[in-house]
Amino acid sequence: MVYFAFMLLVGLVLGLVGVACNPAPYFAAFGLVVAAGMGCAVLAVSGAPFLALVLFLIYLGGMLVVFAYSSALAADPFPEGWTEVTVFEQLAFYLLGVVAAGLYFGKHWYTLFVGMVDSCSKFFTIRADMGGVVAMYGSGGFMLVFCAWVLLLTLFVVLELVRGLSRGPLRAV
Amino acid sequence: MTPVQFSFTTAFILGLMGLTFHRTHLLSALLCLEGMMLALFVALSLWTLQTEVTNFSAAPMLLLAFSACEASVGLALLVATNRTHGPNQLQALNILQC
Repeated sequence: MVYFAFMLLVGLVLGLVGVACNPAPYFAAFGLVVAAGMGCAVLAVSGAPFLALVLFLIYLGGMLVVFAYSSALAADPFPEGWTEVTVFEQLAFYLLGVVAAGLYFGKHWYTLFVGMVDSCSKFFTIRADMGGVVAMYGSGGFMLVFCAWVLLLTLFVVLELVRGLSRGPLRAV
Repeated sequence: MTPVQFSFTTAFILGLMGLTFHRTHLLSALLCLEGMMLALFVALSLWTLQTEVTNFSAAPMLLLAFSACEASVGLALLVATNRTHGPNQLQALNILQC
């Protein structure tokens, strides 16, 4: 399980490397999907199944819109993959950086386990993350209302941004 | 620094560097922002588990709501620039500043 978790962590970092090395958005979206799936699996094996489920369903579901935009609005005839020279040199640069940082910080990893904790799991019938999220509807109710207000405000901001050519905040000059 | 902490820190810094250096599309910058938000979500969730503070696990949910706001405003900006400035290359936005 430890090696499996380590592999998932490597997958998370590799997905972000694939996003960061500036390929076409078409491929960067794929890297982000890989990173989100790996992050979800990391959360699941470290003992937060509800948060992992939320990440997988809501984050990936919301990101579907971004993926649709990235295939629609940035439609190059020849999108740059990771094997293009300009992308690949940045990929190699980021990978070298990650490996160097891992060598620097990872001197004591063999004594540290992977750092996976499966805490908050003893003698409970409800896992800790689900119990904590439930508290959002009780004592954390103010933050829930605040979040709903922020989302409503965002709706009006978005409506104002895409209002029109001559009336919106972004105009052709 | 354990491997878990190292990996989400690295993921956040990678997203930040990708956002900073050499963007061509506005959408690539948005994807890097989403990656940073993903790293923050994983970090907050693992923080909850490591400190064993149960009530803190509402914080990743709230972060997710705010990241939904960020993504929607970014996409709205993308649509607005696509309408006014044509294709959404970031270099094209520099020459059109007023």
